[in-house]
Amino acid sequence: MKLIIGYLYGDLMNIYGDTGNIITLTKRAQWRGIEVQVKQISMGDKFKKGDTDIFFFGGGQDQQQELVARDLVVSSKGKIIKQEVERGVPLLSICGGYQLLGEYYKPHKGLKLPGVGLFPAYTVASFDRMIGNIVIEVNGLSLIDYRKGKKQRYTINDTRYSNLLVGFENHSGKTYLKKSAIPLGMVMKGFGNNGEDETEGCIYKNAIGCYMHGSLLPKNPKLADWLLKKALEVKYGEDIELEPLDDTLELQAHQVAVLKYS
Amino acid sequence: MQTFIAVFLGQVISYLSKILRIGGGSAAPGLYALKLDPDIVSKLSSKIPMNVVVTGTNGKTTTSRMIAHFASKSGIKVIRNHTGSNLERGIASTLINSYSHILSENIDLGIWELDEAAFNTVAPKLKPDIIVFLNVFRDQLDRYGEVDTVVKNWCQTLKNLPPKTVVLVNGDDANTAKLSKCFKGVIQKFGVKDFKIVGESLVHEKEHGNLDYEAKNVKLSGLNGSTFALTIFNIRLTINLPLPGVYHIYDFLAAFAAGLNLSFKPDTMISSLKNFSPAFGRVEKLPFGYIFLIKNPAGATAVFETVTPNIKKNDRMLFALNDNIADGTDVSWIWDANFELLRNSPRAKSRGPSLYVSGARAYDLAVRLKYAGFDPKTMIVDDSLSNALKEATMGLKDRLFVFPTYTAMLKLQSILAKTKIKKHYWAEEN
Repeated sequence: MKLIIGYLYGDLMNIYGDTGNIITLTKRAQWRGIEVQVKQISMGDKFKKGDTDIFFFGGGQDQQQELVARDLVVSSKGKIIKQEVERGVPLLSICGGYQLLGEYYKPHKGLKLPGVGLFPAYTVASFDRMIGNIVIEVNGLSLIDYRKGKKQRYTINDTRYSNLLVGFENHSGKTYLKKSAIPLGMVMKGFGNNGEDETEGCIYKNAIGCYMHGSLLPKNPKLADWLLKKALEVKYGEDIELEPLDDTLELQAHQVAVLKYS
Repeated sequence: MQTFIAVFLGQVISYLSKILRIGGGSAAPGLYALKLDPDIVSKLSSKIPMNVVVTGTNGKTTTSRMIAHFASKSGIKVIRNHTGSNLERGIASTLINSYSHILSENIDLGIWELDEAAFNTVAPKLKPDIIVFLNVFRDQLDRYGEVDTVVKNWCQTLKNLPPKTVVLVNGDDANTAKLSKCFKGVIQKFGVKDFKIVGESLVHEKEHGNLDYEAKNVKLSGLNGSTFALTIFNIRLTINLPLPGVYHIYDFLAAFAAGLNLSFKPDTMISSLKNFSPAFGRVEKLPFGYIFLIKNPAGATAVFETVTPNIKKNDRMLFALNDNIADGTDVSWIWDANFELLRNSPRAKSRGPSLYVSGARAYDLAVRLKYAGFDPKTMIVDDSLSNALKEATMGLKDRLFVFPTYTAMLKLQSILAKTKIKKHYWAEEN
């Protein structure tokens, strides 16, 4: 089996250690004998439907983010991403990437920056800086389903933590979900989407947007595996059971963050 | 009168904190004095004949320390702020503690290390004669914000400084090089031939830059240092720098350029290098190995590039990751640092449990090392640094390389002092 990871604007949107997510997806696939190719999709690159099996879209600095926002629309990459997500291709977007996939971004001054409109959400610039460790409880995702009937090899296997995600947020944009939107999870510690309604992130089909750096996937291996599983299922059209890995260290890192910060 | 009272209060607090042993008295005196007299930094520093400010992401402490070293070898009396107090209160404290020396004109030169953000508020108050911009990398985004923001603010600050100020910038870093657009006066550039800073790393790239201080024919000699040529006033000089890696050449060039602008003799500076020792934890030689501070992606990657080719089969590595404010509370940065480089060392290819991982976020780091290609079976994870150090030194056949973040390094310093391994460090003069 082979997976192609599409790294959206990796040269411009790669701040805050988000590369750790690419490393994690790659390694966890390779450890199971799945071949991985990381394909950069940036300004001036062409890509079409079926080119990639998972998308990753990280955060960037303001100036780069504006360039990317324009390119998503002008090059119609945004439209293709949306069509791909509609057919089930998984996507993980963080911070700036998440904002650009919403309906629009309203800066302090000037016009609204139109987004891709994948997530039924919009973002408004604020003067509050929302910084710190974040812990959320995930309900919208069946993160633990694939483990049913599997022999656990985790030495730490406290089910209390199995539906928690941990990360680090650092944003001043406040994202508001529309009525039809499903949040990725509810904030237990931290600010989340806007620091007001206790929601964090958004999930649409197999696409996830959130504010969680950290990097997110290394400490939340179940989420990484959920993305891999969905990618393989969409690509090969069959139910996939991923071979379990020894996640002792990952879950310990997860637990340290949960205990320390929630 | 207000200033006098503020200084007096600061000195009392400093005295009390020393006899009561609450901290080293490096921030509190300045903090309270600033409340009484917000202009205290500008008032006191104006009584010092010359002031130098050093800022940038990496190398501030080494560069400031080297300028101070050159100064003292040139017979110049120096005060400078201590490592870790590179905010306004730290500078106010230093000025207050040296008040009598400043008044009696016993100080010739102030050397001030300012962090990327403090620079903008404090540098104008110090009215520096010389400013050094070392580089700008991603560092503690939770504190400083994005690189673009840092550069934009520096640019704004520079616009308001008098054109006679000597501004020294790293010409190989596009972010610092473009500061020339923000300054009315003349900018002097330093750099290394055929090197460029691209993103978070230093890469080999042939390009003709117009550098005022250019290191050429660089020969790296492992962990012992490097040798290179530098032409000044049409005289070709050969420099033996006792600090390893290309990144230290930039620190030297900045210090040397500052020294020349202060009219120090080149020969005096160069010959004094053999007696120069870096600050604690920066390429620190220990009886059992080395300490290399790692604190951001660019700095850590530069360290790994230098260390990797020099790691031997029986060497061990100890990493310590903390997430206190001084380390940066966001540990995401470890995913941008190139830990994969260490996989290329002979050590990595041998077997046995000889990677030790510690600190408050030890498991985050252990995961990073696992994804960099190290087998978790070869790692011993212990969040207690003193335990990890004990285990790492027990039965050690060759050297131990310690890679701590900032507060882990301070902790290490106190552990080593307690075990009497580095007792003399308590007397470290900054």
